Amino acid sequence: MTLPSWWLIGWRNLGRNPRRTFITALGLAAGYFAVIFMVGFADGLKVEMIDNGTGLMTGQIQIHSPGYRPDRSLYETIGGRAGADFEAVIRTAVRDPAVVAAAPRVYGAGLLSSGQSTRGGMLMGIDLDREPGVSRLMNSLSQGRAPAPAANELVIGTKMAGRLELKVGNEVILVAPAADGSMGNDLFRVCGLYRTGMADLDGAFALIPIRSLQRLLALDPGRIHEIALSTADPWLAPEAGRRLVAALAPLGVEMEVLDWTGLRPEMLEYALLMDSWYSIVVIIVFAIALFGVANTMLMSTFERRREFSVMLALGVRPHQILLTVVSEAAALGWISLALGVAVTFPLIAWWHHYPIDLSWIYGDLTMLGALIRPVLRIEYNLPVSAWTGLALLLTAVTAGLYPAARAAWLPPADTLSGQ
Amino acid sequence: MKQTEHQRRGRCILYTLGLPLLSMTLTAAGLTAGERHSPRAIIDRVDQVLRGASSRGLATMRVVTRHWERSLTMEVWSLGSDYSLVRVLAPAKEAGTSTLKASRDIWNYLPKVDRTIKIPASMMMGSWMGSHFTNDDLVKESRLVEDYEIETTFEGTRENVKVWEFTLTPRPEAAVVWGKIDYRVRQRDFMPLQARYFDEEGELARTLTFSNFRRMGDRLVPARLDMQPHDKPGERTTVSYDELQFDLDIDKSFFSLRTLRRGR
Repeated sequence: MTLPSWWLIGWRNLGRNPRRTFITALGLAAGYFAVIFMVGFADGLKVEMIDNGTGLMTGQIQIHSPGYRPDRSLYETIGGRAGADFEAVIRTAVRDPAVVAAAPRVYGAGLLSSGQSTRGGMLMGIDLDREPGVSRLMNSLSQGRAPAPAANELVIGTKMAGRLELKVGNEVILVAPAADGSMGNDLFRVCGLYRTGMADLDGAFALIPIRSLQRLLALDPGRIHEIALSTADPWLAPEAGRRLVAALAPLGVEMEVLDWTGLRPEMLEYALLMDSWYSIVVIIVFAIALFGVANTMLMSTFERRREFSVMLALGVRPHQILLTVVSEAAALGWISLALGVAVTFPLIAWWHHYPIDLSWIYGDLTMLGALIRPVLRIEYNLPVSAWTGLALLLTAVTAGLYPAARAAWLPPADTLSGQ
Repeated sequence: MKQTEHQRRGRCILYTLGLPLLSMTLTAAGLTAGERHSPRAIIDRVDQVLRGASSRGLATMRVVTRHWERSLTMEVWSLGSDYSLVRVLAPAKEAGTSTLKASRDIWNYLPKVDRTIKIPASMMMGSWMGSHFTNDDLVKESRLVEDYEIETTFEGTRENVKVWEFTLTPRPEAAVVWGKIDYRVRQRDFMPLQARYFDEEGELARTLTFSNFRRMGDRLVPARLDMQPHDKPGERTTVSYDELQFDLDIDKSFFSLRTLRRGR
């Protein structure tokens, strides 16, 4: 090892007052931990929000007839006389490498009545075999079971069940305007209740086998309103959506393909806002650390001013003194970084795998219409960890510059004579 | 979530028929000229003329929308402005479907499932059987002169007919959905010709046209009502009366859930 001598001197100087060095390093390490923790937590919220916002019901990509959104007209179907065969659309869509599953859906607005009380609700027709591939709706059953295919059975949210005073096994009357202009009405049986924790969903949506709902709405089996797709990772959806537009073009029917960033732009904007916030967190944390380190370094160089004077008197060049002190600061930075990484990553890994239950602080909460579980979910963010490490080193070196300059340009004679 | 749109539409479900309009015209009584012609008096008389004693009638409702056209034949009973009952006679698929209005409540009987459901208050702006009449039209039992300030805005000849035109603006305390109603009334016999409904932004929302004035039972009535919503060009609901009888021997007990289920 042939490190330049000022490096060795700088390194050894840290050992002069180990306690001070340790405390200063701990300060920087704590700053590092704070940044990684905050970013990890923010990432956790973001991932939780996007996962739940898309995975609970929306799906990562949706395909509609171009006129379907935003009015959700009963008549704007994929399939039907002038529409594409929706099974062909699904076959094409699942060939995309990023698409994991696809499921058809039918929607209708209607009344649900238990006899005693009646409420408006959204009737959602789902394919019971395929829906679990794109959403977790059917995994949220809190009571009962899923409907049998094509049976007059349905699953409603616990909130809706409470309002209508319905229990599993009760009958419910559905009334909905049908596509032929008549008033579709039929008796259904509640076979299960779901609970997602989202009031909007639990109080409004009734999940019905797709064929049963098509019957109620006088829609042909070939007419559906939506194809929901899931992708392996939500961030693959925008690219997959663009590929799908091209892949579906040969079917010759205009369709609207939207990924979640288009369906839920507020979630994307929030994610981008979070990302830009990270650099601000880094700046704030290390700006505070900067003054702490600079103060310590000023103290330690002030204590050694006689020593620096002797060195200068013996012919050491000022820039060599400068390098010695800056090296000391850099060494401190490396120690801090090592300490920070040693403390941070085991904790982050632990919390990532065993999220802390925060339900004693807050229950389920919803953010931008997505459910957030009351857990401290921490995500790894390696780029941010690396940049934060670099910021820590830069902070230490920057903090050392002023004390180093003070030391390098001491007047040796005056200092040694005690003035 | 995007469900707000959904839910809003959910509320706009097809419900209830233009019962008040039906019952209004059913009880139309002829007016003798020579009454005082203050705007308030005229509107009150038109309003009174369109309400009143009991009635029974047969009507055909034709609904035209962008996606379908259909025709329903109905039997209608009314008692004053508080009670009415409508039963669908044709088409067969919906025959027996009935609606009962008693005071501010509306019930529907669905023969297919043999159940009666009460329409919730949140559905009042919905329409019935896909028609362009709303539930609110049905339960609205207030009298125009009580809820609106009335002003004559025109008096003279329109399309060779001597008419009055009145502008009705809601009184501050009135719980009404319209921002303004323009009413045109024929001077000769006090028959309403047209009502134009404006929303709270002052936009024309819908036009109700009265025509085919005929003597039915013992009085002159507009036997045809035509409702056109302005946000859906080309769509319309037309109600025509084929038969009308007045001052029948029916009372409140007739307008019961039992009658609703039984049909009559």
